[in-house]
Amino acid sequence: MSDTPLLKVENLTVRFAVKRGGGFGKKHFLYAVDDVSFEVAKGETLAIVGESGSGKTTAALAVARLVDAYAGEVDLGGHEILHLEGEDLRRVRRKVQFIFQDPYSSLNPRQRAEDVVREPLLSLTDTPKEEQQKIVDDLFAHVGLRPEQKRLFPHQFSGGQRQRIGIARALATQPELIICDEPVSALDVAVQAQILNLLRRLQTEYGLTYLFISHDLGVVQHMSDSIAVMYMGKIVEHADRLSLFNNPLHPYTSALLSAVPTVDKTLREKSRRILIPGDPPDPVNLPKGCRFANRCPVAQDRCRETEPDLKTVKGGHRIACHLVDHTAVSPL
Amino acid sequence: MTEPLLKVENLRIELTTRAGVTPVIDNLSFELGHGENISFVGESGCGKSMTALSIMGLLPEGVGRIASGSIQFHGEELTTASTERLRDIRGNEISMIFQEPMTSLNPVYTVGEQIAEVLRAHQGLSKKAAWDMAAELLDAVRIPNAKSRVGDYPFQMSGGQRQRVMIAMALACKPKILIADEPTTALDVTVQAQIFDLLRDLRRNTGTSIIMITHDMGAVAEMAERMIVMYAGRNAEIGPVDQIIDRPRHPYTKGLISCVPHIVANLTEERHDLTEVPGIVPSLQEFGKNRCLFASRCNLRTDECLRERPPAREFENGQKADCWHAEEL
Amino acid sequence: MSDPVTVLEEEIEKARHPFTEAWEMFRRNHAALVALVVLTGVVIMAIIGPALYGRDPYDMVWTPFTRPGENWDFILGTDYLGRDLLAMIISGTRVSIIIGLAAAFVSVFIGVTVGALVGFYRGWVEEVLMRFTEFFQVLPTLLFSMVIVALFGASLPMIVLAIGVVSWTAVARITRAEFLRIRELEYVTASRASGARNGKLMFRVILPNALPPIIVQSALMVGSAILFEAGLAFLGLTDPNVVSWGQIIGSNRTYFLDASFTVTIPGVAIFVTVLCISLVGDGLNDALNPKLRAR
Repeated sequence: MSDTPLLKVENLTVRFAVKRGGGFGKKHFLYAVDDVSFEVAKGETLAIVGESGSGKTTAALAVARLVDAYAGEVDLGGHEILHLEGEDLRRVRRKVQFIFQDPYSSLNPRQRAEDVVREPLLSLTDTPKEEQQKIVDDLFAHVGLRPEQKRLFPHQFSGGQRQRIGIARALATQPELIICDEPVSALDVAVQAQILNLLRRLQTEYGLTYLFISHDLGVVQHMSDSIAVMYMGKIVEHADRLSLFNNPLHPYTSALLSAVPTVDKTLREKSRRILIPGDPPDPVNLPKGCRFANRCPVAQDRCRETEPDLKTVKGGHRIACHLVDHTAVSPL
Repeated sequence: MTEPLLKVENLRIELTTRAGVTPVIDNLSFELGHGENISFVGESGCGKSMTALSIMGLLPEGVGRIASGSIQFHGEELTTASTERLRDIRGNEISMIFQEPMTSLNPVYTVGEQIAEVLRAHQGLSKKAAWDMAAELLDAVRIPNAKSRVGDYPFQMSGGQRQRVMIAMALACKPKILIADEPTTALDVTVQAQIFDLLRDLRRNTGTSIIMITHDMGAVAEMAERMIVMYAGRNAEIGPVDQIIDRPRHPYTKGLISCVPHIVANLTEERHDLTEVPGIVPSLQEFGKNRCLFASRCNLRTDECLRERPPAREFENGQKADCWHAEEL
Repeated sequence: MSDPVTVLEEEIEKARHPFTEAWEMFRRNHAALVALVVLTGVVIMAIIGPALYGRDPYDMVWTPFTRPGENWDFILGTDYLGRDLLAMIISGTRVSIIIGLAAAFVSVFIGVTVGALVGFYRGWVEEVLMRFTEFFQVLPTLLFSMVIVALFGASLPMIVLAIGVVSWTAVARITRAEFLRIRELEYVTASRASGARNGKLMFRVILPNALPPIIVQSALMVGSAILFEAGLAFLGLTDPNVVSWGQIIGSNRTYFLDASFTVTIPGVAIFVTVLCISLVGDGLNDALNPKLRAR
């Protein structure tokens, strides 16, 4: 990535206070996102993959300024945005928009479809009324909705159509960065393809940059240019699409990849399944050392002692594992 | 050929709604052999879960009913069996696990109590024996420290562990058939892999036949020998899994396979648009009409499809597809 | 294949307002429908009744304790001062309905404001307001309202205020619960991403979606306020200058054994009205509860 990135996230940390052991228990902190750094170049898609509790959605919400970060920097187009307030924040919101996971709960049931799409224009811009209507009509056509559907309420749409409304809303203020938080995971399989194709078409059409959050490696493989794998609040591996899928280095990434059921017979026969036992550790009481050590098939003593840093190996491939050195050979 | 374990013939289930009576399952036939794993695939609203509920005798009372056809379990007709007999079979010989492990366990009882309850009800075990058996079962579904965890409440367990408890409960009475309704949809993929592995092992060790309901072609490919693709309450395609994936004979099956981006062995720079299956599943009012219900979403549609419901076309190894254009595919 | 969109044969639903849908659900609850008709009659009586039935409720017009049917000029008879009971009931309708509505309004206003703040904000706002709510929750309601009326005088506004102040906690609790639920939904986050400020989020985004249970509760509140007023009036804590149903009962209660009709007739008026309000509330619950709405 030679040119300056559109989005640059450095040492982002988000923590939540959790109460344990009754009302007067000591305050503990859950580090949902722990010291995470990444960049996204303009017009590209970075996918953040991980399972539930990995912190991928929280990271996305923090970048969109929808949850408060505890530490770190988020730089959008050369401007630090984590500390903006008021009018400056609204200007940033115009440039960063969000597509939500659940099309059933992300649309206000009392707003008509066109009002949903118009809302960001009303709140974030001073677009005159006639022009707003024109933009809304335009967006409806672009996301594949019919003009006569404008006056309908959300519950009158199918899941896929609702997600189209959500996409139109995200596009309304002509944002540069769109954060897609599991945009298809709540949809029926046959409808997912419609939305994924639409998102890719819109990306070329408007030159959009995507931060794509997903747990579905198949979808990620199809949508992204580079991928960051998160586990328990940390990025464990970050590489471009081909290196990550064809040459995964971190044991967790390998396990994740091999766990995905696939129709590809050669892949099923080729890959011995790497089954990782157990469940992730308690996020409030993290063990010393590597967070994956308790489930890792190749963990050694030092993995349980010290936490590995995220270091760059061959070709911009970043990885946090003691067992991978500059030779970039998977320990598995 | 031996008698199949479960034989469903020309099953028709009608649902009474405000709009009238609709056949949510329309002329469905299939067989399940001993120790076989068969999968039902389709989008939501295609009648997959309804089929499972009818086998269990758990159709929503007053709303759904078996209108015609037969379900034979071990040669015994279930559609006309008494409520007592069905209750006896349920949980004992045919049991079921559900999609949502969060809500299918009762939060106010320990998992041990809930498993022991099943054992006592169906097998008349004593309290002590049932409790010990519960611990053994938890161990069998690979919950670490099973002995000490039988006293845990559901909220003390992770989603994957809860699903294991559900499986332990379903297996408590060594059922002949285990129906798994989207057993891993709510779980993470690494946990899903654990559950699949567990189900495969259990099947190998106990010979239980599994009916798995899913929307994920990948999961079907991993788990089942045969699959039934359902669309709008009807059989779209049935046959051996690998054969169908290699060469689907129904455009809906083809769509389901190619609309999902799969992980492949050697990824290349090349990326194609995904195949779209336009539109959505038809509304209940459309069910039961004498035409191909998939026609509105199909790119092979001809006049024939709109005129008459397609009959099953047979191919080798028992692959059957209900499509006028099956040969062309 | 041409453009996939043209192949679709989905029907397009007509744009229907949620109100239309709610009304259809309501209509199916026959008891609520009948109750609504009766209530409409009561309200019409409150508005035009006194003008239509020209007799002054304060006038002593005939022998006290004339039984209903004894004299056809006074169909419902007369009370202990010889006043026309029918005139009193009609004029009392207006007062009772006004008290019911006003007291419900006061309690809903306080309840929604407190509930919304508690449900929306975390931290000290929530802590302080919750303690405040709990304080009102544990007060014995009747006693507390009696104290207010006794201290500040039994005028109509004071009675309304007293009833409102002691009964808002139920509304606050419901509002808070709804706010806590809806606050976590994605469309609220979506509104924030669209730049909505807190005030807008609270009152334009969350509140409209929280309304159904609040509306149901408010309807029931009107009924219980009428009952509450009757209770206060029965104890003599009422504005002597206006006739309300409760006040008729209160002033005639000494003669209950000799002339029970002076108490039962206003009692039936209260009973029917409050019952109808409850039934309408029940119907509203059916109509506004999305879980009951068949898709």
